[in-house]
Amino acid sequence: MTASLRRRRLAALLTAVALGTVTACTSGGTAVPPAGGAGQEQSLLDRAPVASDADLAASPTAQAIKQRGQILIGSQLDTPLLSQQNPTTGQTEGFDAILGRLLAKYILGRPNVKIVNSTSQIREALLQNNTVDVVLHTYSITLPRAEKVSFAGPYFVSGPAIMARKGDSSITKPQDLKGKKVLAVTNSTGAALVQQYEPAQVITLGTNSECVTALEQGRADAYVNDLTQLAGNAQTNDKVQVNSGTFGQDPYGIGIHHGDETFKQFINDWLKKIQAAGLWQEAYKQTLGTVIPGDAPTPPATGFVPGS
Amino acid sequence: MSGWTDHLGEFAEGVLNTVLLTVFSTLGAVLVALVITAFRICPVRPLRAFGTGYVELFQNIPLAVWLVLFVFGLPMVGISFELFPTAVLATALYMASYYAETLRSGINAVSSGQAEAARALGLGFGQSLRAVILPQALRTIIQPLGNVTIQLLMNTALAAAVGVVELTEATNRVNLVLAEPLPLYVGAGVCYAVLAMVISSGAGVLERKLVIPR
Repeated sequence: MTASLRRRRLAALLTAVALGTVTACTSGGTAVPPAGGAGQEQSLLDRAPVASDADLAASPTAQAIKQRGQILIGSQLDTPLLSQQNPTTGQTEGFDAILGRLLAKYILGRPNVKIVNSTSQIREALLQNNTVDVVLHTYSITLPRAEKVSFAGPYFVSGPAIMARKGDSSITKPQDLKGKKVLAVTNSTGAALVQQYEPAQVITLGTNSECVTALEQGRADAYVNDLTQLAGNAQTNDKVQVNSGTFGQDPYGIGIHHGDETFKQFINDWLKKIQAAGLWQEAYKQTLGTVIPGDAPTPPATGFVPGS
Repeated sequence: MSGWTDHLGEFAEGVLNTVLLTVFSTLGAVLVALVITAFRICPVRPLRAFGTGYVELFQNIPLAVWLVLFVFGLPMVGISFELFPTAVLATALYMASYYAETLRSGINAVSSGQAEAARALGLGFGQSLRAVILPQALRTIIQPLGNVTIQLLMNTALAAAVGVVELTEATNRVNLVLAEPLPLYVGAGVCYAVLAMVISSGAGVLERKLVIPR
């Protein structure tokens, strides 16, 4: 075998390996548009509350946003069911995205939102230097973070949930995990939490996609990870399904500039209004609710977790 | 450092799995390496080509990739083992290429006069390999074999990525509960060092007894 031929064969093999890995990670992974069309959301927006002048007067930050005519929201565009950009319409779709537009309408009277891409490394910085008005995207409330930014909400309580192969509804609550083989992502909270339910074995793999593949291939009976992550899997992969709601607590808050108490109160009031009007529940049903079994959960009470 | 003692069982299981992974993978790798090396020096051309191809293939792709291929790729074509044997298989096949290269260097160190003398005595290829060449070759490369085995021991940590609860993964899990990364990983490091020392001192003892002074 000549050296060049050997190199070419090696290249072909590596390509095959790379393709194999990619296929393993995304099998069945086609971008499915979220259920619930723009029409459903439009009706939601039509019924959404708008802040009175008195409400606005209470918060200088809200007044400033109103004067600008646009709200700047720190979010991301790649999270199915929460905040994912639809490539054909350019519209951001998902639970967080809808809440963002509802908040915009509350302040401005119309849903004029500008999304500023904010990864988890730079969220605090964006809020501290006022690049964004709020961060509204799976921002877990923690005490260390609460020293740098303030949190309105929580507006959603996520946490570990259970995923199984399509059509397998034998495990619907954590107690059912007893004696079963369970997958989890290495060093995730799900991996730690699941131990107390006495599974036969916990198999930890490095990434979410590896866990989904291993579940599909029958290496385990269930996969435990954060509910929103699992819901995203269920949307892009038709061989798996979400079998339970959460059985732990990971409260998502709306991040704002540290110490802006009036704006925090303003957002909390808005949250209570959309919850009381049933809009929160409808937004959930149009997005996460399309793959998570059961009714919409009871919306969390604002300020119930430390740091919010 | 409260809670250390609660997790001693998990650590012990991790160490045990690391040792088992190392022992089984080493046995498998040495067996495969013997065959591959025999292929590489045998007179039949296609077998030589196969031996060379094997070593090139396994040495040029990282073990982490092999593990992912074996764990997630094989089930796609309908072959599925438990995780532990899959990890042993991937590690053994991968490390066999390194053992084979070490073995070949040992064989190169045996002077060609030995092979010619064996042929002159009427021994066939297999006989001269078994009776004359391999014994001398093996006695030349005891220390390098020990080093490759230590490399194998360290490589077993990669099995953590595909869900085998060996020492590294056991440490990951205990750390998830205790959140004391420094002492835990230093402890795991000490365990690896002790295991490596067992291998290197074993190789040292064999070396002193068996080495052929040239």
